[in-house]
Amino acid sequence: MTGAIVTMENVTKLYEQGKIEVRAVDNLTLTIQKGDFAALCGPSGSGKTTVLNLMGGLDLPTEGTIHIEQQNLSELSRSQISNMRRDRIGFVFQSYNLIPVMTAYENAEFVLKLQGVPEKQCHERVMNILAEVGLQGLEHRRPDELSGGQQQRVAIARAIVTRPAIVLADEPTANVDSVTADALLDLMQELNRVERTTFLFSTHDQRVMDRARRLIRLRDGRLEQDEVRA
Amino acid sequence: MRVTLFAWRNLWRRKRRTLITGFSIGFGIMLAVTFTGTGDYGYTNMINAGANMGFGHVTIERQGYNLSPGLDKPVENSEQVRDIVLKIEGVNNAYVRIMGQAMFASANKTVGGMFLAVHPKEESAEHNLFIRSMVSGEMLSSSDNRDVVIGTHLAKKLNLRLGKKLIYTTTDANGEIVSAISRVTGIFETGVKEIDGGLVMLPINTVRNQIGYKNDEATLVAALVNDQRYTQAVRDRVARRLNAKNVEILTWKQTQGDMAGIVAMDRGSNYISQILIGLLIAAGIFNTLLMSVLERRREFGIMMAVGMTPATLFKLIMTESLWLAAVGIIFGVIITTPWYWYLYNIGIDFTGAIGDDYSAGGVLVDPVMKIRLFKESIISILSGVFLLTLASGLYPAWKAGHIPPVQSLMQR
Repeated sequence: MTGAIVTMENVTKLYEQGKIEVRAVDNLTLTIQKGDFAALCGPSGSGKTTVLNLMGGLDLPTEGTIHIEQQNLSELSRSQISNMRRDRIGFVFQSYNLIPVMTAYENAEFVLKLQGVPEKQCHERVMNILAEVGLQGLEHRRPDELSGGQQQRVAIARAIVTRPAIVLADEPTANVDSVTADALLDLMQELNRVERTTFLFSTHDQRVMDRARRLIRLRDGRLEQDEVRA
Repeated sequence: MRVTLFAWRNLWRRKRRTLITGFSIGFGIMLAVTFTGTGDYGYTNMINAGANMGFGHVTIERQGYNLSPGLDKPVENSEQVRDIVLKIEGVNNAYVRIMGQAMFASANKTVGGMFLAVHPKEESAEHNLFIRSMVSGEMLSSSDNRDVVIGTHLAKKLNLRLGKKLIYTTTDANGEIVSAISRVTGIFETGVKEIDGGLVMLPINTVRNQIGYKNDEATLVAALVNDQRYTQAVRDRVARRLNAKNVEILTWKQTQGDMAGIVAMDRGSNYISQILIGLLIAAGIFNTLLMSVLERRREFGIMMAVGMTPATLFKLIMTESLWLAAVGIIFGVIITTPWYWYLYNIGIDFTGAIGDDYSAGGVLVDPVMKIRLFKESIISILSGVFLLTLASGLYPAWKAGHIPPVQSLMQR
């Protein structure tokens, strides 16, 4: 499994909706390699978000195993999984999900503080990352003082400030205009190229699919297509 | 960002709700201060007034006297006992006294009652209610003369005035009936009809001679303590110091059982009221914290998604509770201070409702409701509010950390 960041083996996830059992992911085997810039696509209900949640340890599989950097998630405690997310995984959500009482700086700094990074080092890294995502001068603004695109940039800054092994992005361009979406994708592509940060997107957005170097297509919770592009 | 600062900001996301909850905590503090303060003031007054009526806070008397009082049960070497008691820590003063039943007669009528024989020179107005309550004439001047001080109602019943003769009849130490004549030198009025109509004060040596007591015998030594809250501790010290076999050392709770019962009952109902108010306020705090947790479920999901552990989330909510408690206490201090000042200095006068001669357990109750808080009460109110607020935050904090992040993230 050299180079594998996340490995899913025969993973099935069942949900109960009232008396009906829903098979959100069905016997899925998938590996995300270091440096991937991959898009998970498929129609609504195909299991994209569930796969991201499972890979990020936000949810546990009903069957099968998930390894993140060779650690079996089902063998870890809730706190260990939290620490794993804190140190190795970055999340970007469709609706930004910034903490409203914190400034852009504090949102980006949040995970570093959870890691216990010393103040000086923290400051340096946050200022660098905010500059990197183009938010210089907006550090002290709270989310409600930022545009949608700026908020998503803060979310990206928060996701990558710890230099995670993988960034899981759930429809990151869904709530921004096309110009902002392009700018965000430029930014993530650049991070992937320069920093070798691994990205996995769940998306409906054709622009994201066009830029992805690997396209993973799901249908009814199963792998329909896994295409690596040149 | 530190958890404390984060929690503080979270608290003010819903300013109005925080202010209302803070105010209700503050109001709770005001009620607790009022209940506890009136209790601290009222009980202290009652207990001290009771102690000043003869037995003191701590009473040294002959074994068995309390259950079956009689002049046949004297404390020997009472003057020596007094000297020892005076040196004990916490004792403000001690008095040698003889108490007994007697029949009081004038030319017209006979009435049954009690006598209290004292050393007039040693008695102080501070510890003797009757001296403080003199309305005419003078206090007894010597331990050996034939003076007597009586209550207004007794004077009225026996049709006595200053300078008139009073005959008292009692049984001596050997059970023989003895009588003596006294002259009224003073009249007191405590406001308690039973006392004013049935108690007289006599010189102790005259009574000793009359009832066949030796010069150092008395029925009790009454010790008055500096602070009634420590009566039991003083009693224990006295017991250790005296270590006498034929005497027993009792507190006011034993010598004035009626009053002790009233104080205990009143204190109990006071506590119950406070607990009910506390529960009501706790329900308000609980509601605020739980609502603030439930409406932030998605945010907690995000925080857990980016790596916050359930334990840190628990700490965050508990810190919010702590801040809420601090805000409530500040509100409490702000709204309680003027109220406390008013009740401490002026008080509320209930004379119109209960009159100025209302008594309980044989002790006159001050019709003006005043307030006084002991240091311990202040600490217990503030720590009680603090703990109550923290306890109200426990479930919401636990709940926040136990919602699976994936469920929290689904919340809109």
